[in-house]
Amino acid sequence: MTVQRESAPTPAGTDNQIEVKGLNKRFGAGDGVVALENVDLTVRRGEFVAILGPSGCGKSTLLMITAGLTPPSSGSVVVDGKKVTRPLTEVGIVFQRDLLFDWRTVLGNVMLQADIRGLDRNASREKALQLLETVGLRGFADRRPWELSGGMRQRVALCRALLHDASLLLLDEPFGALDAITRDQINLDLQKIWLATGCTAVMVTHSISEAIFLADRVVVMSPRPGRIAQDVTIDLPRPRTVEMRDTPRFAAYQATLRDAIMH
Amino acid sequence: MTTRSAMRQLTDIAYPALVFIVSIVVWEFGARAGWFPPYVLPAPSSIVARIGDTADLMLHHAVVTSFEIILGFVLAVIIGVALAAMIVFVRTIDKAFYPWLVVVQVIPKVALGPLLVVWLGFGFLPKVLLAFLLSFFPVMISAMVGLRSIDNDSMFLLRSMGADPIKIFRHLQLPSALPGIFGSMKVAITLATVGAIVGEFIGANEGLGYVLVTANGVLDTTLIFVALTWISVLALVFYGAIAMLENMSVHWHVSHRSRAAQALA
Repeated sequence: MTVQRESAPTPAGTDNQIEVKGLNKRFGAGDGVVALENVDLTVRRGEFVAILGPSGCGKSTLLMITAGLTPPSSGSVVVDGKKVTRPLTEVGIVFQRDLLFDWRTVLGNVMLQADIRGLDRNASREKALQLLETVGLRGFADRRPWELSGGMRQRVALCRALLHDASLLLLDEPFGALDAITRDQINLDLQKIWLATGCTAVMVTHSISEAIFLADRVVVMSPRPGRIAQDVTIDLPRPRTVEMRDTPRFAAYQATLRDAIMH
Repeated sequence: MTTRSAMRQLTDIAYPALVFIVSIVVWEFGARAGWFPPYVLPAPSSIVARIGDTADLMLHHAVVTSFEIILGFVLAVIIGVALAAMIVFVRTIDKAFYPWLVVVQVIPKVALGPLLVVWLGFGFLPKVLLAFLLSFFPVMISAMVGLRSIDNDSMFLLRSMGADPIKIFRHLQLPSALPGIFGSMKVAITLATVGAIVGEFIGANEGLGYVLVTANGVLDTTLIFVALTWISVLALVFYGAIAMLENMSVHWHVSHRSRAAQALA
């Protein structure tokens, strides 16, 4: 995979892929639980945005509403100029759990995307094997999901989300359950793939360093009700390396975001 | 390590075989010593001899009963799964029919036997129907549970791929439900056997259940044992066939993995 760009690709403000306006989400009848309150968010095409916040701040809900999988209580989400009223299909989603099917092999799980969409099987198979190669799992194509470690499984889920060349990648705390070492490695893989494909990525996470490492912009959410507390642009060169975490700039971003979460 | 595992494999077969042989020997000895009269418990050797003598005739009866069992069971699986899918997918059907299905399940189906004879006569049909009625409920319940036990995220994943309900059924719900359905099929096949035999008790002129009733009428205990042997063999064969089918279709399920792992080890 080659690196096709050094930083955020398109000039600011010209081409928004996602526009969230005045979004509210209440669970339960009457007063209920307010999960999201008056959330505005725009994501430019090709941008990597991380949504950062503690558990239960509604960040996953925001992602699911964006994907059209959960209806909002009020407000609107526009993706590619169209209001989202039903599940978006021009997306790839990676969930908290890998959701691999035991009745399919590793390759079969990646191919699920092609089988459901009715894509050309041979071409998709080639693409799937290539993606598995990128994340170092080509040799596991014929294995079953239960033979893989948690990190490997989540890599397969990532490949599945990328098979159909979606212009938008939604990641819902995908690496939350992984150990720190595995997480670093998979973050590097994700950056490599994102740089190569040029897709837009929105990732929900509760890890500050993961957010800074991957994102062009980090949106901090406050809990109950979920609101956007701060929007921080991460100005670090690409591709980012693990060593960059030890730089003062990285530490400064970390301090800023920690403050934003605490307040 | 290999000698120990070979040893274990040997004892796995040897111990149950030993129990069988000792029981038969004691039984045979008891029969010859006159511990019990032959019309109560005939000697194993005379049962075996009778099995040989009656093979042709019994084969005919066994075929009849097998067809009843298989047809009733296959109907139970097809209708059980189809009905489960309809109940899961169509709310109106769930509301209108499910309570009645439970009521029907609570009625002891065997008690319906005489009525089925009145309606359908002494032929093939009432036995098939009884086998079906006894065996379809467990299949339907397992299929319903399996089809419904899909977590939200898996559903979201497939919807984001643009899957319609049919694709969700085919690629997610049915495979998830399959291990449970196979488990219920093992229960259903024994129930179908009971249904066919009882159906023959009530009114028939062929089949293993018919042989049992006529042998009982003339106190031919040896023939009763011959029929029981045939029934047991049939039941074992059917059960084995389903277990094989299960191994082929849901080898990926947790319940089948330990064996695969053992084979590798």
